[in-house]
This record gives sequence, C-alpha cells and structure tokens, in this order.
Amino acid sequence: MKFARFIAASLLAGTLAMPAASYAADKPVVGLVMKSLANEFFKNMLEGAKAHEAKRGDYTLKAVGMQSETDVETQINAIESFITQKVDAIVVAPSDSRALVPPIKRAVDAGITVVNFDVALDDKAKQEAGLKLAFVGPDNREGAKLAGDALAKKLGAGAKVVIIEGNPGADNAAQRKLGFMDSVTAGKLDLLDSRTAHWETEEANTVFSNMLTAHPDIQGVMAANDSMVLGVVKAIEAAGKTGKIEVVGFDNIPAVQPLLKEKKLLATVDQFGQQMAANAIDKALGVVAGGKPLEGWVKTDIKLVTSDDVK
Amino acid sequence: MDTTDLTTAQAGSKTIATTTKTVLREAGIGIALIALIIVFSFTPHFLSSSNVTNILTQVTINLVLSIGMTFVILIGGIDLSVGSVLSFCAVVAGTVMTLPGLDPAVAVFLATISAIVAGIGFGLLNGLISAWWAIPSFIVTLGTLNIARGAALQVTNASTIYSFPAAFNAFGSQTFYGIPLLFLIALVLVAIGWFVLTKTVFGRVLYGIGNNEEAARLAGHNVFFYKVAAFTICGVLVGIGAIIYMARLNIASPIIGIGFELNAIAAVIIGGTSLSGGRGSIVGTLLGACIIGVLANGLILLGLSDFMRQMITGFVIILAVILDKYRERLTKA
Repeated sequence: MKFARFIAASLLAGTLAMPAASYAADKPVVGLVMKSLANEFFKNMLEGAKAHEAKRGDYTLKAVGMQSETDVETQINAIESFITQKVDAIVVAPSDSRALVPPIKRAVDAGITVVNFDVALDDKAKQEAGLKLAFVGPDNREGAKLAGDALAKKLGAGAKVVIIEGNPGADNAAQRKLGFMDSVTAGKLDLLDSRTAHWETEEANTVFSNMLTAHPDIQGVMAANDSMVLGVVKAIEAAGKTGKIEVVGFDNIPAVQPLLKEKKLLATVDQFGQQMAANAIDKALGVVAGGKPLEGWVKTDIKLVTSDDVK
Repeated sequence: MDTTDLTTAQAGSKTIATTTKTVLREAGIGIALIALIIVFSFTPHFLSSSNVTNILTQVTINLVLSIGMTFVILIGGIDLSVGSVLSFCAVVAGTVMTLPGLDPAVAVFLATISAIVAGIGFGLLNGLISAWWAIPSFIVTLGTLNIARGAALQVTNASTIYSFPAAFNAFGSQTFYGIPLLFLIALVLVAIGWFVLTKTVFGRVLYGIGNNEEAARLAGHNVFFYKVAAFTICGVLVGIGAIIYMARLNIASPIIGIGFELNAIAAVIIGGTSLSGGRGSIVGTLLGACIIGVLANGLILLGLSDFMRQMITGFVIILAVILDKYRERLTKA
C-alpha cells in the first residue's frame, strides 16, 4: 500500500510540475488541495468548486485530490509544486493537521495567499513553525453535539450509548468525538464503549455487532460519519433490534436519505460540503485582490437533518 | 501435502507419512483456534448463539477471498488486487441491480453474473500478464489494484449505490439454525476448493508448479495455462465475495474493500500455506480465516482498546508464521 501511494504520489507530482508556465497571465490562479476524491463528500466539494470557477470566471482553478484519506505525501507534493508554479493562492483541506504545516509555511513565505479550510491545522504546530493562518470551516465539535443532543433528547438521561469513531489521529474525527462526549455529559448519558471503525461501512458493521454482543442493552449509537451509519443500521437489523436502538450520524450523504425516511436514522449533520471549497476560494481571492487578511476561525454553516427534512 | 508426484513416482508407504504430516500441520492450526476459543469463552456472551452467528458473518467475506488467494499463493504468486477488484465487481453488480425496469429476481441474477464476469476479467488480466511476460504477480496485481479502484470510482463517479431489491437485502441476514446463509455458501466454496486441490490432477499440478515450476514444465504440463487458471479462480471468488458484501451491507461503493487483500493473505499464511508456494491447504485457510475473525470479535468483547487490538492481531500473524517454521522442521524430520 505504502509503495502504491509512493508511485501514485510521484506520478501526480510529475504531472503537476510540467505545465507550470501555461496559465494566462491576467487571471489569478488558485491551487485547490483536496482530500480523497474517492470520498463522495470531497468529490461533491470539488464539483462545487468547479461550478464556482465557471460561474465567477475571473480565476483559474487547479485542483489536486488524494488517493486515499491518509495519503499525506500527495498533499505535500501538491503544495510544493504549487509553490514552484507560483500560483496566487492555495486553498487547502489538510489530511493531517500537523504534517501539512511545514509546506504551508513555505507557501506563505513565498508570498502565496493560503486559506486553510475543512480541517483546521494544529494550533501548537502552527505556533512552533511561526505560522499565522486563519481557518475557514465548520465546527465539527458543535455539529457532533447537535447530533448527540438530538439522541440525548430522544432517549433521556441515563440512556446507554456507544460512539463509533472516525480515523484515530484525524482532527475532524477527534472533534466529532469531543462533540459527542459533550452531549454525553450534558444529557447525562451512560457511555458504554467508544471504538474506531475508520470511517468504513463494513468495519462499522463488524465493530458494532461485537459491541452489541458485549453490551446487549445499548440504546443509542453516535457514528462519526454516515458511511459507518450504514453498517451500524444493518447490524441493528441483523440483531432484530430495529426501532429499539436509535442512531445519529454526520455528513448527510445520499445513501442515508432512505434511512432517515424510515426513521432508522434519527438525525445526521449537514455541513454543506458542496459550497465549502467555493467559499474558501472566495475568501482567498478577496485577499489576493488586496482585501484584509483573514483572522482566527471563520465558521461556516452546519445544520441538523432529521426525518422532517426528507420528503 | 508438500510432496509432489509430478516428477517421480511416489512409493506407497510415503502416502502414510504424508497423511501424518498433513494431520500434524492442520492440527497445529486447529489447536491454536481451539485455544483462542477457550481463552475467549471466559468472557461473557462469547459463546452465545448470536455471537457465534456474528463471528461467522464477519468471517465470510475474508474466507471467500482467502480461498481464491490460496490458489494463487500455492503456485507461488500473490494477488494484491482482490480488495479493489471486489469494489469494482460490487459497483458493476450494484449498477446492474439498480437498473430501472428490471424484475427484482432478474436484476439479482444478472448482477451476480456481472460481478463474477468482472472478477474473471481481472483474474484473467492478472494471470495473462504475469504468466506471458513472466512478471512477478506482486507487481502486476499492484497495477491492477489501482486500475480496479480507479475503474470503480470512474463507473460510479465516487458515489455509493444503494436501494437494492428488498428480498436481496433480507437474504444477506438470513440464518439456518444460527448459521448465516452467506457463511454456508462460503463453506460450499471451501468444499469445492478442497476437492479441486486434493482430488484432481489439476490441483496436484498447481502444487507441483509451486514446488518447482521448471520440473512441472519438463513433465509436460502447460504451466502458462495453470497460472492463468489460478488467478482466474481467484477472480471468480472475488466476484462472489462482492455479491456477499452487497447482501450483507446492502450497499456497493467504490471505496469498499480497502485492505481486504492483506486480511486474505494473513488468513492464508496463518492457515499454514507457504508464501513461496507448493505447500498448504484450503482447510488451513478456513481455520486461518476463523482465527482472524475470532480474534477480532473476542478482543472487542474483552474490552481491549482499538490500538491494543491492532497490535495483538499483528503479533498473532507473526507467531503463526514462526510456528509454521517449527512445524515444517518437525514434518521434515
């Protein structure tokens, strides 16, 4: 796998480096560094950005995605080749909140406007590198708390719940877990177990089935994304406990819409991913055009989605 | 089972020795599995019928992939593409299954056929390329790993396919006296695999190629054909695995199956099949897959953290290979 990524990263770096001089001189060039385009969420986000480019028409978009969620090298290589290409702005959704700090610092030092969106860079790592950078993105912790609170409200105090976490080490996974924990505390829920299923459907199905065996009295599940919700709901069905266990998720992907409708999923959270990259690009172009530099955390919209929102 | 009757005729007395060796080898893995089960049976719920059903469900996909992987590893090859190809087969089948206007039964039938055809396609590709140009299958399947994943993403535009016929979705969770139907299908495949490898000339030649390819060639066997066949069989099983995945989880997506190849290889190796080929068995693979499944389940029931679980699984793989070295010495003596 490692080797496969290395090859993929080298190929990608090669294709990026070549057409360096071919941009029209008048339009600003924005380099967009995305996470895994194999993930529907980021693929939609990229499509949103492309539509945005066509609509505005006053900038050139150059987008790069990764092979998988954890493919950090590709992102680093992409940023470095954007520096070489002297783009005007880089808009980046970091796959790792620490590993991306040094290359981003080099970009800022090279006079490029950088906007960090989707996942915030680590504050301590930024400080150590002497990097000052604003973050444009949703509050994952707040979003997870919205979902967790919906679960707590439905089940009441003392309800026995478990958490299915995202990738250990990923910032949004950590933030979502913190948000769920906030709900556990606020709603006086009884947290029985919390485990990772690495964002994946099959693993969530396996892990949750086993948790249910260990704790047959589980009443509620908080899953850090909707792909894992699919596996959890299937495990509940297989155990014959449909309607006895409430589930909340995150991301509001198309595949969970039927589950919301059938009330097999209590709630999920929409963070309007499609517009997220486009918004960040707007912010970056504002600065390139001579606007005020961004500061702190520019929060973007989040919304709790329940069966009431599905026709 | 590690002897070959390709080049020289075997003396009758040697079959008894071979049988003893086989029993010793299989027993070793079996004892390890039983020991694991005994340890975990001290945790509450582990031996409950619903947990046994869970473990068997969780073992099924890996078991099916491992059967195919056994064929490939026996000839001294490896197939790194199975996880990606499973995803490709699943999205092809998912697309067919959700075609508008099809009768559900017809849709499921066509989807199953198309998954297997897609699997055969990639199996042939892996086999033909590695056999024709004598390229290590490690490299060829590393290539097809990326091709299949990319193709799956291309076909679906990275979206998840869902809303399969209700009867198909229900089929995946059906049990027969507590045994998942999907696992029973896998067991039938194990039986077929066992028969092919041990009771047919075809199977014996596969072992022979793994032991000494040149000797097999000199004995007049069409090594090219057998190599392609082994990869194609692996492809068929990946196609079936994709349908089983869809029946179990009711989705098909281009990002499923990541890392499945490593689990399948682990099951085969824990099961006592030699990575250099020529030695091993399907029964061992069945036990190896069960060990991985029991371990994953039992460690969660024990309440061990995710990270400890990952470490222990790693240790078990290494331990299995070390044990295998001792078994090898024992049976050679």
